[in-house]
Amino acid sequence: MNNPYLPMPVTIKKITIENEARDIKTFDLVFNVKKDNEKFKYTCGQFAEISMLGIGEAPIGIASSPMDEDSVQFTVKKYNTGVVTSALHNLCPGDMIGIRGPYGNGFPMKDFEGKNLVIIGGGFALTTLRSLTRYILHKKNRDHFKDVTVLYGARSPGELIYKSELREWEERDDINVYLTVDRGDENWKGRVGLVPNVLSEVAPSSKNSVALICGPLIMVKFTMLPIIDLGFEPDKIFFSLEMRMKCGIGKCGRCNIGTKYVCKDGPVFTYQELQGLPNEY
Amino acid sequence: MIEKIKEVVKKLFKEDKIDIFIGYGEGTLPLRTTPCFITGPDNIEKLVWNSYCFNNLAVYLPRFFLPQLQKKDLKFPRIGILAKGCDGRSIVGLIKEHQIPRENLYIIGINCSGMIDIEKVQNAVYKMQEVEIVSAKEKSGKVLVENEDNKKVELKKEELLAEVCKNCQYTAPLIYDVLIGEEKRKTKEKERAAFIKEFEKKPLEERWKYFQEQVSKCIRCYACRQACPNCYCKECFADQTRPKWIGATENISDIMFFQIGRILHQAGRCVDCGACVRACPMGIDLRIFTYKLIEDVKEFFGYEAGISLEEAPPLATFKPDDKQEFITEP
Amino acid sequence: MENAKLKIIKKKDVLKFLDSLKKEYDIFVPIEKNGDIRFSKFNSEKDIPWNYRNTKIPPKEIFFPQTETLFSFEAGTSTLSNGSMTFTPIDESKSSAPGNKNYLIFGIRPCDAQAFSLLDKLFGGDDFQDPYYLEKRKQAIIISLACNKPQITCFCTSLKGKPDNEEGADIILFDLGENILTKPITKKGEEFIENLDSWFKEAKKSDVDKKNELMDLSLKKICSGVNLQNIKEKLDEAFDISFWNEIHQKCLGCGICTYLCPTCYCFDITDEIDHVAGGLAPSRGKRIRCWDSCMFPLFTLHASGHNPRLTYKERMRQRIMHKFNYCPENFKEIFCVGCGRCIRNCPVNLDLREVLVSLMSLGSLCKDKKI
Repeated sequence: MNNPYLPMPVTIKKITIENEARDIKTFDLVFNVKKDNEKFKYTCGQFAEISMLGIGEAPIGIASSPMDEDSVQFTVKKYNTGVVTSALHNLCPGDMIGIRGPYGNGFPMKDFEGKNLVIIGGGFALTTLRSLTRYILHKKNRDHFKDVTVLYGARSPGELIYKSELREWEERDDINVYLTVDRGDENWKGRVGLVPNVLSEVAPSSKNSVALICGPLIMVKFTMLPIIDLGFEPDKIFFSLEMRMKCGIGKCGRCNIGTKYVCKDGPVFTYQELQGLPNEY
Repeated sequence: MIEKIKEVVKKLFKEDKIDIFIGYGEGTLPLRTTPCFITGPDNIEKLVWNSYCFNNLAVYLPRFFLPQLQKKDLKFPRIGILAKGCDGRSIVGLIKEHQIPRENLYIIGINCSGMIDIEKVQNAVYKMQEVEIVSAKEKSGKVLVENEDNKKVELKKEELLAEVCKNCQYTAPLIYDVLIGEEKRKTKEKERAAFIKEFEKKPLEERWKYFQEQVSKCIRCYACRQACPNCYCKECFADQTRPKWIGATENISDIMFFQIGRILHQAGRCVDCGACVRACPMGIDLRIFTYKLIEDVKEFFGYEAGISLEEAPPLATFKPDDKQEFITEP
Repeated sequence: MENAKLKIIKKKDVLKFLDSLKKEYDIFVPIEKNGDIRFSKFNSEKDIPWNYRNTKIPPKEIFFPQTETLFSFEAGTSTLSNGSMTFTPIDESKSSAPGNKNYLIFGIRPCDAQAFSLLDKLFGGDDFQDPYYLEKRKQAIIISLACNKPQITCFCTSLKGKPDNEEGADIILFDLGENILTKPITKKGEEFIENLDSWFKEAKKSDVDKKNELMDLSLKKICSGVNLQNIKEKLDEAFDISFWNEIHQKCLGCGICTYLCPTCYCFDITDEIDHVAGGLAPSRGKRIRCWDSCMFPLFTLHASGHNPRLTYKERMRQRIMHKFNYCPENFKEIFCVGCGRCIRNCPVNLDLREVLVSLMSLGSLCKDKKI
């Protein structure tokens, strides 16, 4: 019997510090065993259990695109109470860890084809949305999707992650990028304002569009008002949820919202689906 | 007594002195009652008082006064509570440790004649598990027990008292707003501690073996901790992950670490109510350890928990003549 | 199955019978220890406590032990830059299984056997299978013992059970006094008895009559019950009702009801490490899983500090909803067999039957305002 609890060995190829507070890092992982690489076929929005032997596991969204062949990327925020995230942040390139997955449903990319995408991210939660954006911008895929709008905000300029990639996106003409910060600094020339307000300003059309929202609970909550005002239907609004998880495969019983398990039935839910679930997340 | 209790509670609600009353209600099983939360004068008839009211109700108090509730600008409720001697001592401890405000409490003290130990009833009549008791009636110092085959046996309450209730010194609380029944202070300290003195005489190896035997039954359900009014920590050391003090398994060293840690945290605080012992589903003799601590604190610091609101607890005070051998001589 | 397959074995022969199977099977029987009965490895010195009511710890622990090693690992020649271990996991799912020996679970109560069939659905499933549970489970033969004397906390008849419920078992036994009547339920059970034919003789009509009489009597003794018809549908509308505001009040938040439940399966996964004596660097370790409980606040606490089930209320609701609504939705089964352990062992006599009765007695559940 295939054992889903066994992690696959991976080596850290590169570590990128993403923010000024230095508590968000991106890890580029390479599979030690080639076969594992083939087994690990994922879609945008899925996650994996990052495993450190002797320390534990943590579910982390996959930040790289399925089109990226050379490595799988995870962007990890370190929490002082998080045992695994703290230990991960102490590692160096060349160190070996484990991953198991991919898990979860991911975004329904096929359904998004032929549609405009409004991608709204806040703070550290851009990770799986970045996976999705990279996927769409890939030359093999770009034609399948219509207009792509990225609206991304963080508390301060230093807290915006994937900076160099954001710059690249801004320079392209097949994607609209709006960056905003809650508080600017002397070097910040861009927008200052909260994501929900900027969204109302930008006012992307909801016609033939889907909206994808990931961010802190409070941001998501306040983004709902303008997004509904813009006319997005509940089944066209997508979220990626977080819950405490252990097994990642729907067995250990903790990450459910009502009858749905975030690890298995999620983490991506539409607003319509969430409306049918109890408010317990 | 129960009529008196109901009368007082009714009056408290009528005069709008309390929002909630915590007492005992009819249990669903023989020889049991169940904690009962009453929010108005209409439900007072639910209250009962008998020899099965063994739960220490003080355990419920801290949850009403959590600091985060205050932040939400909620007014703390005024709580009436029925308190036996041991419950009352727990309440004193909680007030002293600033977990509950005295002014929000209305304590109905009751002079308790001791609670029945269910296991003793079971063992007095039948061998473990062989016969099921289907009902029990209490009348003037006697308990009439009926089994599933309709056989009835009459037992003396005296012989069925829980170990903690035997030779109880503080049958009524020392701090109360109204007291039901007479306050009688007994001084049977020596008899009460006899089992500890007996145990202390045993050789070290034997005591250690006994401890290991007992804790090896533990299944880490934490019922002892959850039933203890003193275990109100927001996060127990046993649950912490950074640092992680204890493994999560039922490995004997993990269990011992938890049990020793929890028991030592009771030094100068445990009132010997027996809640942990009764809650334990595995029948661990926890009291032999908690009571030893009570005796030691009494001997070394002359302190007894839950007796006065003023006297500083030994863990929160220092006297030049405090015992300190344990520091200098490991 | 027709009466022809009913066999008789003398009660006094059972120990010898089991003893003869020791080479082939790892045998688990109810054994008295510390005043409680618990499933333990068979020992021919200890008689089967035929009159036992039920174990305190449910036999789920045989397939799903409280602590189980998922895999172990050893420090390689190199360690990570932070001092933790490199990667050499050793799968334990095979080694924890019985290996060449099959499991023989002898004398479990029908409710607990039924619980296995529920756990099978969870640990099996179409997408991910749990090898630790399934490897052991599939190699086991389950012989249950019908209840002659149910307890006052038993309410299996409110669920799918009864004193001689067959679900989950391969063979069911009936204690007729001097004789034990055996009835095969599955093909596996039938073959098991056929292969050991010499121990058994045909059951007489009088034996069957006696069994029926005992079972009728036993069924009558289960006097507590809750009508749970449509409970799932009822709970569909019940998440936000004010009912939950009071029902949890007396709960202490311990893990007794879940740990002692034969169908509760929630678990935690953690790592344990050994240190070389005197050294700081870990030398080996293992990833283990152990029982966890939805009644514990840490169960759902996020690393960020957020907790979706912050108070006793949400946790109690989760326990009831999980058993009587979420599982019926996901597995088409109520995850309760009515064994009564949670009732009998609750330190504050929070009686599940009472909770269910008051739930069922609520009129049409118009959603109260959010609370």
